[in-house]
Amino acid sequence: MSTDADGLGPRPAGYYHLARAVLYREFLLFVRYPANAIGGVVISLFFFGVLFYGGRMLAGQALTDSIEGIVVGYFLWTLAVGAYSAISNDIGSEVQWGTLERHVMTPFGFAPVALLKGAAKVVRTFLISTVILAVMLLLTGTTLQLHVLTIVVIASLSILSVLGLGFAAGGITVLYKRIGNWLNLLQFGFVVLISAPVLEIPWLKLLPLAHGSGLLQRAMVDGVRLWEFAPADLALLVAVAVGYLGLGYAVFQLSTQRARRLGVLGDY
Amino acid sequence: MTDQDGVGGERTRSSGQTVTTGPSRDGSADSADATTAGRHGRDTEPDARTAASGTAIAVEGVTKRFETGPDSVLAVDNVSFEVETGSIVGLLGPNGAGKTTLIKSVLGMVVPDEGTVRIRGIDVGDRPRAAYANVGAMLEGARNDYWRLTVRENLRYFATVSGVDPDSVADRHDRLLDRLDLTEWADTPVRKLSRGMKQKVSLASVLAGGAEVVFLDEPTLGLDVESSRTLQRELLRLAREDGLTVFISSHDMDVIETVCDRVLVMSEGRIVADDTVDELLRGAAGGTVVVESPDLDADALAAVRERFPVTAVEELDWGTRLTVEASGDDLYGLMDVLATAGVTPERLRTVEPDLEDVFVGLTREGGR
Repeated sequence: MSTDADGLGPRPAGYYHLARAVLYREFLLFVRYPANAIGGVVISLFFFGVLFYGGRMLAGQALTDSIEGIVVGYFLWTLAVGAYSAISNDIGSEVQWGTLERHVMTPFGFAPVALLKGAAKVVRTFLISTVILAVMLLLTGTTLQLHVLTIVVIASLSILSVLGLGFAAGGITVLYKRIGNWLNLLQFGFVVLISAPVLEIPWLKLLPLAHGSGLLQRAMVDGVRLWEFAPADLALLVAVAVGYLGLGYAVFQLSTQRARRLGVLGDY
Repeated sequence: MTDQDGVGGERTRSSGQTVTTGPSRDGSADSADATTAGRHGRDTEPDARTAASGTAIAVEGVTKRFETGPDSVLAVDNVSFEVETGSIVGLLGPNGAGKTTLIKSVLGMVVPDEGTVRIRGIDVGDRPRAAYANVGAMLEGARNDYWRLTVRENLRYFATVSGVDPDSVADRHDRLLDRLDLTEWADTPVRKLSRGMKQKVSLASVLAGGAEVVFLDEPTLGLDVESSRTLQRELLRLAREDGLTVFISSHDMDVIETVCDRVLVMSEGRIVADDTVDELLRGAAGGTVVVESPDLDADALAAVRERFPVTAVEELDWGTRLTVEASGDDLYGLMDVLATAGVTPERLRTVEPDLEDVFVGLTREGGR
């Protein structure tokens, strides 16, 4: 096994090669198996349809008046659920397949792979949620301020905190296995976080999604641009995102270490 | 077929003692380059002591206990052994003997309570990434690779995560695919392949990054005879030509007997035997002799029983079949006893113990 393509022997792979490999794999799975993405779009729109038409029958004009906020909230919810379930389920699958064990003993370890996967999942979720948003706007006849840079930055920072929760859930799955269904229930809690009354109870801004949801509403409904937000608001958004992502990642790492001590890393 | 180059060293049949057996394929005790940097050129210098002796894997006093209190299970009990670079070492043991825990402890997937593991001289506890830089593992029951990717995509992906630019080893991948009869399926998603083919893809992906030490847990599980032979042939070739070190755990005695230079037998968490297949067979309890004769009456049976353990007496239409525990050396003594008792054997055959008999004997004893 000594001769190689250019006769110079194997070249070492760095983080660039790792990023390319992980992202390319995610891309292949996305384009080669679109059924999951399409299914996600259809189910999300179905629930939104039930919410919108059912709500209009019950609440009439009251719902129509607040439809912009509902659309933005639902958009953020699909983003959050997509990122959370993608990362937590993905870690569970890696455990089940035995591929997590393989990554653990590589020179890179599983940590950077998981982070890169997380980034890929966020991009994928954005693509899916954009389709959902477009259909929701058509369905409801609503218009929103769609300043792409502002939306991408605010929404990305908002769901980073959820990504942290996904890592924590993945870590718990590594330890206790087969609890994915219970952890998936957490995504319904995102509704509460997205609609948290942060103006009345300011400390709620420290929870995942809550502060980001408020800023996204202002961006998409009121047309506030990224640079028009108070620096303190943006700083808090970044702090919450980094804090929960770091915390979730630490839980994942600690869970993996504990699983190694207990000898349950690869069991499923 | 064992002990392919006829080189051996000290051996032990008790656990907890360091064993330094194993053929040195390079024929030189100090051929390994102690200053060789790893693939990443950093933090991978092998420990001079072990690297100089060509030791790929050094396990010392590894112990792992699961749970605590009365329910605790001592899965691995003070196990020590070494594996020479370029050798193929088999690990045998009944279910629950601690094989998988031992392999996972060596691989860092289970953290042992006590003991040290060095791979190519690097302590896995101190520098795990460096120690595992050139190590691959195919574990039992795991899919090990991504079924929704094609065979070649898996090879490229796992070459990358093992630290090698996949473009620089494209030729290697072609050769691997060719030797494992996978070329035709290179661009097929793994999920569409048979179980045996998937097993071969798994092995190919383990070797895709150029691992120098590989751990294989039940590699032939689910393979048909032809595929199993292909895999065995490839393992031997990789060890002989490329100096690959293979640590293989299997219940398939044929695989162990065919490819392994040395065999470790585990029972109740301990290594109860560590030797070449030939030596294990040689040191095994004697074989059996089966005698069939119409003259084997009660007096003759009693005469035989006085000198030899009789394990079975079976009445035939035309006489009696007697199974006696006796090695080849005892055969003449048995013949004398039979002749004295007036028995003329109609048929007589000796049955030498095979590896399975040795294994059953050793694990039944549990090392006691």
